[in-house]
Amino acid sequence: MNERIDPRVEIGVALMLILIASLALFGTKDIPPGRFEPLGSAPVPQAVAGMVLLLALWIIVRACIDRRPIATPSADRYLDAAIVVAFTLLFVAAMHYRLTTFAILTTLYLVATIGFLTRFDRKRLIWVIGIAAAVGFGFQYLFTRVFVVDLPGL
Amino acid sequence: MEGVLTGLVGGLAIVFTPMGFFYVALGTILGISVGAIPGLSGAMLIALTLPLTYYMPATDAIVLLIGMYVGSITGGLITATLLRMPGTPSNVMTTFDGYPMARAGKPGRALGLGIAASFAGGIISWWFLLLLAKPLSIWATRFGPFEYFTLILMAMVLIASVSQGSLIKGLIAGLLGMLVSMPGVDPSSGMPRLTFDTYHMNSGLKLLPVLIGVFAVSQIIADVLDIGRKIERVESTKSSIMIKAGDWVRHGGNMLRSGLIGTLVGILPGVGASIGSVIAYTTAKNVSKTPEQFGKGSEEGIVASETANNATVGGALIPLIAMGIPGSVIDAILIGALMIHSIQPGPTLFITNPDIVYAMIAACLIGNLVMLAVMTGSVNWVAKLAYIPRTFMLPVIIVCCVIGAFGLDNVMFDVWVMLIFGVIGFLLERARYPLGPFVIGFVLAPLMESKLRTGLMMTGGSITPIFTRPVAATFLAIAIILLVWPLVSEWRRRKAEAGTSAAG
Repeated sequence: MNERIDPRVEIGVALMLILIASLALFGTKDIPPGRFEPLGSAPVPQAVAGMVLLLALWIIVRACIDRRPIATPSADRYLDAAIVVAFTLLFVAAMHYRLTTFAILTTLYLVATIGFLTRFDRKRLIWVIGIAAAVGFGFQYLFTRVFVVDLPGL
Repeated sequence: MEGVLTGLVGGLAIVFTPMGFFYVALGTILGISVGAIPGLSGAMLIALTLPLTYYMPATDAIVLLIGMYVGSITGGLITATLLRMPGTPSNVMTTFDGYPMARAGKPGRALGLGIAASFAGGIISWWFLLLLAKPLSIWATRFGPFEYFTLILMAMVLIASVSQGSLIKGLIAGLLGMLVSMPGVDPSSGMPRLTFDTYHMNSGLKLLPVLIGVFAVSQIIADVLDIGRKIERVESTKSSIMIKAGDWVRHGGNMLRSGLIGTLVGILPGVGASIGSVIAYTTAKNVSKTPEQFGKGSEEGIVASETANNATVGGALIPLIAMGIPGSVIDAILIGALMIHSIQPGPTLFITNPDIVYAMIAACLIGNLVMLAVMTGSVNWVAKLAYIPRTFMLPVIIVCCVIGAFGLDNVMFDVWVMLIFGVIGFLLERARYPLGPFVIGFVLAPLMESKLRTGLMMTGGSITPIFTRPVAATFLAIAIILLVWPLVSEWRRRKAEAGTSAAG
């Protein structure tokens, strides 16, 4: 494998890791030392976060100096994935704020997402609506009446 | 040995109750079905099933999950052979020979060999599981906190060093998993840490939402990216796929060797089925009289790959049962399942919960038998699952993920955690960070930290026993070698390359 990852991806992910490690270091700075045991609560997360930080910095340095050719990006459907994630965030937010019942929210989410992925093909739309409603209301029945599990939503 | 046999009889008695057998069979069938659908994995299935097991008796829950484990590794064989698309990562090597053989008009033969090899691998490793787990657990009960600490350290380095991709990225993934496990009330001091004054964080980031996010949600995002990919397809066979007695004899040596390789690789903490099948395949090619056939439809290639990947299942259960150390990613999830059911994995499991241990061992055996029967009898039906449109399937799985994460404690916070870790897992995979070390770091870090702190309390803050106690020092030395060896070999490779180019 002589090709490298797109440095923007490499550096972006490394920065995300640095952010997480920095948050951990910030969150442990005020923890007092141990009273009944030598180590206390802070040193282990601090050491781990420090190592993540250093190794992520190394990844960034390596990405900057690497001269190997960049792997050709595949013809992936990034926009589709982003829209599916956006629909999912809306779905979860609607359940968080209990806008309506699980069955209705799930049906709407599935119609929107499956419909989008099938490009709202008219021939398949009736199937999409049918399956979405069957899953939405079916799951509500199955989980609340058979498994007796609470579901999110109203 | 007598105790082991008595325990096994007890385990079989549990599994052969109507509900016990139902759950093993259901788990195996679901595992095969999910394994046969490209893009879905056993880890995803088990993580999504966990919430449904809260209300089940612990033995039923565990035998269901073991059945899924066994089934999912085998189910991937079907798509690897008929679609050149491994159902699970551990079936990649099978595509090299299974698909060419299927295209050459022998799909039944390819599937038959794969199923027989999977069964042989499962049974070989099961024997090792039965014979080794208890002695190893007795040995492990002698471990003090420093031995445990260095064992986990060694396991973490091993996982990072053999994961796909670079050692540095494996280490980062493992460390990130450890870091993510640390928020919440510190059990040693009772002090909250990394909670950022959010009361939801007092109980930390829970295993299940993190697992579902990292394994299921991230995989769904990745699947959406190549949803339009065209699948090459070979029709399955109408004829029998049972192989003949002569085939068992002819491939017996290969099965035994690959089974041993798979079991050994499975025992190593965190080293999964993929690596087992690669090593067994390469070894089979090296010792074969017809190595030129490998990659063009070699029977030996299919047998080696499938025997080894199934053998890792039993092998990986050995450190889980004996020491509470996961042998693979799925084992890390199984540890989570045990903890959800208030069972503490570790060397004392044989003493505290022998029924669970032997039910697991018995379920592994019965799962393999069910797998053989189901795969032999219904492979053509199972193969059709691969053609379920993913445009319909993926959003429905997201809904299942939401239910699974919410069902843990009935709080939406866990659903948000799941989504965030889905995105983090997806980004890590895009940048080729292995997810195995992340999950194993997440599961093992609390144990590792508590052992270190207990040890330091015992010695008044001195870490000297790590270097003076023989077992701890050995584990530490292995960890250092595993860490340094890839760097040394890389340096030697570059030096050799520089020498060659200078000579040229």
